[in-house]
Amino acid sequence: MLPTLAVLAVFVVWPMLQALYLSFTDYQVFSPARWIGLENYGRLVSDPAFGNALVNTLYYAAVTTPVSVGLALGLALMLNRRMPLRGFVRTAVFVPVVISLAVVAIAWSFLLDPNIGLLSHWLSEIGIVSEQGWLRDPALAMPAVMAVGVWKNVGFYMVMYLAGLQSIPAVLYEAARVDGAGTWPRFRRITWPLLSNQTMLIVIMAAIATLQAFDQIFVMTRGGPFFRTETLVMMTYRVGFKEFQFGYAAAVSWALVALIFVLSMLQFGYFRKRAVTY
Amino acid sequence: MRLRSRVRLVTMTAAIALMSTACAGQGQGSGGTPAETGGAGGSAAPVTLKFWNGFTGPDRPAVEAIVSKFNASQTKVKIEMEIMPWDVFYDKLLPSLGSGTGPDITAMDTAQIPQYAARSVFQPLDDMYGPQAIDPGVLVASAVDATSFKGKKYGVPMNFTTLKLYWNKDMFREAGLDPEKPPATWAEFGDYAKKLTKDTDGDGKPEQYGLAIADHATVPMWPILFWQNGGGVVSADGRTATLADPATIEAARHWVDLVTKDKIAPIGLGGADADKLFQSKKAAMEIVGPWMTTGFKEAGIDFGLAMPAAGPKANVTLGTSVAFTLSARADAARKQAAQDFFAYWNNKESQVYWAVNSGFPPNRTDLTADDLKESPYSAVFGQDADKSRFYLAGVQEFQKVNETIFEPALQRVLNGQGDLEQVFGQAAKEIQAVLDSAQ
Repeated sequence: MLPTLAVLAVFVVWPMLQALYLSFTDYQVFSPARWIGLENYGRLVSDPAFGNALVNTLYYAAVTTPVSVGLALGLALMLNRRMPLRGFVRTAVFVPVVISLAVVAIAWSFLLDPNIGLLSHWLSEIGIVSEQGWLRDPALAMPAVMAVGVWKNVGFYMVMYLAGLQSIPAVLYEAARVDGAGTWPRFRRITWPLLSNQTMLIVIMAAIATLQAFDQIFVMTRGGPFFRTETLVMMTYRVGFKEFQFGYAAAVSWALVALIFVLSMLQFGYFRKRAVTY
Repeated sequence: MRLRSRVRLVTMTAAIALMSTACAGQGQGSGGTPAETGGAGGSAAPVTLKFWNGFTGPDRPAVEAIVSKFNASQTKVKIEMEIMPWDVFYDKLLPSLGSGTGPDITAMDTAQIPQYAARSVFQPLDDMYGPQAIDPGVLVASAVDATSFKGKKYGVPMNFTTLKLYWNKDMFREAGLDPEKPPATWAEFGDYAKKLTKDTDGDGKPEQYGLAIADHATVPMWPILFWQNGGGVVSADGRTATLADPATIEAARHWVDLVTKDKIAPIGLGGADADKLFQSKKAAMEIVGPWMTTGFKEAGIDFGLAMPAAGPKANVTLGTSVAFTLSARADAARKQAAQDFFAYWNNKESQVYWAVNSGFPPNRTDLTADDLKESPYSAVFGQDADKSRFYLAGVQEFQKVNETIFEPALQRVLNGQGDLEQVFGQAAKEIQAVLDSAQ
């Protein structure tokens, strides 16, 4: 336990505290950090770029979290039954989880390329033509990076749901069937409530992961076109590493920490009332 | 997974925070590097200089060859070169220099130098220039000037070139245009581009474009069009935003209309996308530098090179230069070593080798046509240096002005998100604020 805590302290807690300190300074690497109090946080409030990144982040999370969780549940229910090629499909859905997201994003960039992309070509065959290419089109770039985010993570959530499904005692279903309950009532009255522990964990995890969306956006769009896909983490990167305002970048990242903390607590409070033991 | 998410969040914050810890130590303790390096003095141990750059393209072998020739030519200095993609280079540079693990010398676009010079990352190199060391009299003057920031020179030219119009002769022939006659005026340029744009399957998306022009992550292409009409992003002295000037607006409207209404070029291209489009014969013209000659030749394209079509007000193209810089932490011994290397790079023999093997024009003005006869392209790109202009010269915050304000504004306009005058007007105000705050 102690080594783990030591690693956590050195690589997690200490850097976070350092970043918190920096967020109250005008640190720019080469000149010494100067304490400027809440100035960076005051700037956040009036910075349209922060507003834009916040809206993009919430939009990304609000769409990808329910879609990922819903899809994962659907796939888990499907793949929990006996069906042909079950092992293959389970593996196929899970494979993206173990591939690096950056690699996934490069592959998708090729698939979506307007000139050489296989997916663009197939879509144009059925009449869906994106003139500029998905990633360059301001209306389609966000849906594209969302789709990649969902595709990447859904397998992991599916496996968690599968584990949950297999821990539900079969006798409950047998009893329900004897009482004449159909498919929907069995799901509604047995499966869904008994999965609520998994659902809580998955929803909170998915929300945290999506609020930190970065990798595929960095690779696929770099936050563009004109900041349409710039999330808070992308903004932290741009402001820090591109514009050298490390103090302000630290403030942006701490705003994200606060956002994630508050949302996670709200979710936790909501789900805790619905926790089940059996 | 939960832990993983947390880890990801933390790497971001950690990256920033760790840098600070590293730097704090640096500020207090590490003035002491001279002891390990400068002490070498007259003895046999060479001064080792770490050299970072982003020459990953077709010009990489030429850079590597000159560096190894330099290392072999003497025993006092050893260059340890690390070549990485430019975006990685710029991401790593400041943090690594802050933590004391960075390079002694770098090579970077001169437009990027001021934002580092202003933060005292590099040291002024004025005293390296002189007839016996690096003679500014024989170097391309605009390339030397481009290293200046607030009256001091922070770099020594590594390369210099102008951008030229490439055109695909086969596509000109197919469109019924004279393959030996590039467009000479804006009217011809636009007219040719329209004739070279073809939507063969009638789906509204052309299969072939007249022009490949990038609007982000690129060597500047749109600003050339603004200059040709007497406008620009900022004034020549770098003090005034001119994006909202009538001349700029007029030029932008003319070309934005051709792109959005006549579809002569795709919207949203990065520099690499534009090059790929010309290389795959899906665009007939592109304004770009000599680094693409190799790639286009390998793709089997029969291309011509010329000065871009003259605009209504000016016959001008972009001049661009990469310069060597020296870390502010380098001591006198390292500075001398760097000077030896910079001088070697710019001597006649190296410059002939560079021109012949990279397609770039030489940095020196005293080489004869005979010296360069093996390089068909370098002469063309060396021409019209007097008609070239550097983008955002002397502007301290290149990144903010170009990537945070100008490029997104241009993309907004091209995507029909807002009126041109209003979007450029707002961008001009933001650019002016950045320029003013840096004064």
